[in-house]
Amino acid sequence: MSAWIWGVGTSNFGRQTDKLPAELAWEALQEALADADVAHVDAAFVGTVFGSLGVAQRALLGVGLAGIPIVTVENACASGSTALHEAHQAILSGRYERVIALGVEHLTSLFAGPIASDPTDREQATGLLFPGIYAMSASRYMYEHDATAEDLAAVAVKNSRHGALNPRAQRRRALSVEEVLGSRMIAEPLTLFQCAGLSDAAAAAVLGPTRRGSRDVALRASALRSGTSWDHTSRHVWGYDVVRDTARDAYDAAGIEPSDADVLEVHDAFTIGELVTVEALGVDAEGAAPAAVAAGEHSLGGKTPVNPSGGLLSRGHPLGATGVAQLAELVWQLRGEADQRQVADARIGLLETMGGGTAGLDGNACVVAVLQAG
Amino acid sequence: MPGSALRVASRPHKLDRADAAPLSFPDPRPSVVSGPYGYAIAGARCTACGHPNATTAPRCPRCGGEAAAALFGPAGTIWATTTIHVASGNRAAPYTLAYVDLDEGPRVLAHVLDGPRLAPRVAQRVRLIARTDNGDPQVEVAR
Ligand SMILES: [Zn+2]
Repeated sequence: MSAWIWGVGTSNFGRQTDKLPAELAWEALQEALADADVAHVDAAFVGTVFGSLGVAQRALLGVGLAGIPIVTVENACASGSTALHEAHQAILSGRYERVIALGVEHLTSLFAGPIASDPTDREQATGLLFPGIYAMSASRYMYEHDATAEDLAAVAVKNSRHGALNPRAQRRRALSVEEVLGSRMIAEPLTLFQCAGLSDAAAAAVLGPTRRGSRDVALRASALRSGTSWDHTSRHVWGYDVVRDTARDAYDAAGIEPSDADVLEVHDAFTIGELVTVEALGVDAEGAAPAAVAAGEHSLGGKTPVNPSGGLLSRGHPLGATGVAQLAELVWQLRGEADQRQVADARIGLLETMGGGTAGLDGNACVVAVLQAG
Repeated sequence: MPGSALRVASRPHKLDRADAAPLSFPDPRPSVVSGPYGYAIAGARCTACGHPNATTAPRCPRCGGEAAAALFGPAGTIWATTTIHVASGNRAAPYTLAYVDLDEGPRVLAHVLDGPRLAPRVAQRVRLIARTDNGDPQVEVAR
């Protein structure tokens, strides 16, 4: 049994101080509804992290979707993909037939510098900003696997080349290793171009219970977990175990193995994130991701392209919108509509988003979804 | 919305947060106390599985067992470390943080004394000392 993605849409990604959050959502919603060729849905699940009170309702009202059940979810960087997962489950259970998954975030109206999690969190209160949380992972990963600063930078270089091919991306310039390493140091070893920038954007998808034609993309499986305790007994950097376990849930439900994936959109809010994630997903062995990136395996044209959209680093990371933006990219890829960044013969797409920022947790939430060309 | 004035502004528009209530809540950071063998983190140990925890949560994060107050430290080992180059709160950049696995104790986040100059490394031994001026837990690299 499957649910189907009938249509997707996004706004542009980047600093959009001239647009309100709802206005960005209207762009994504209108495109998704037109793409799906529907005017009405039964319910909406909306992901946003710092979205203000009622942003989901303001957004949906503006495209004539009022009076329906609307559920807003916050699951850190996995908020949009949690909305997708819940929309999916609602269709599978028969609760609703046509459901919108929407993600919306407007960070430049809230932050001027690095995003902090919650002031009542003990590590946030100790001065560990988000780049620091990932820098800790980089520190440990480099120690365990003899990885280098160049290994990390190579991820930003690769994703910047992909982003240069994406007209909606926030960063549309291909970067060199020297530029990445020479950008301002934020949290050692992570430099500015190894951190996703502040981004404003929205993304939307319309899901339905049937396949209406070859443009519909099957959502074969989605899985959601929250992290368990991350402490002195944890062998891996934070987030590894929850990604590994959520992926296993999704692979088992879809009846696939990671080697079946033709194209991936994964969580690279910081360069180290992509290295850890592709290993946790089982795409690369532990410690082997830097060599795979260096060999071009995860580049467009390589064996297993990762983040053809440019990823969070280059397309942009509007937190709550990210998961649905990843979905939109995979739908375009699996339909063969991804233009210059098209992955040849892509049949199976893998989506992964993992959100963190809570002290003592192996990630606040992780969603992994498996998509298949219709 | 007491105190807030309705304003029609041409965009872009910066939110006026001047009328926001001052943030006020208990300090969430682990408490550092002076114990019989030096400084220690006041946390809890699970009475069922023995798992140590640096928080005041009532139950064990691993097994749900009841937590009993315990002191941890002062000696420990750096599990990971980073030097932050962006100012945060009252902290001037750069400053160095480390996840420290206290001996027979929990993993705690601490500032490293003189960290930007010393550039501490993973697996180095450290020792809890008095909090920083900002009230953050702090370690020094063991000599
Ligand atoms: Zn226990």
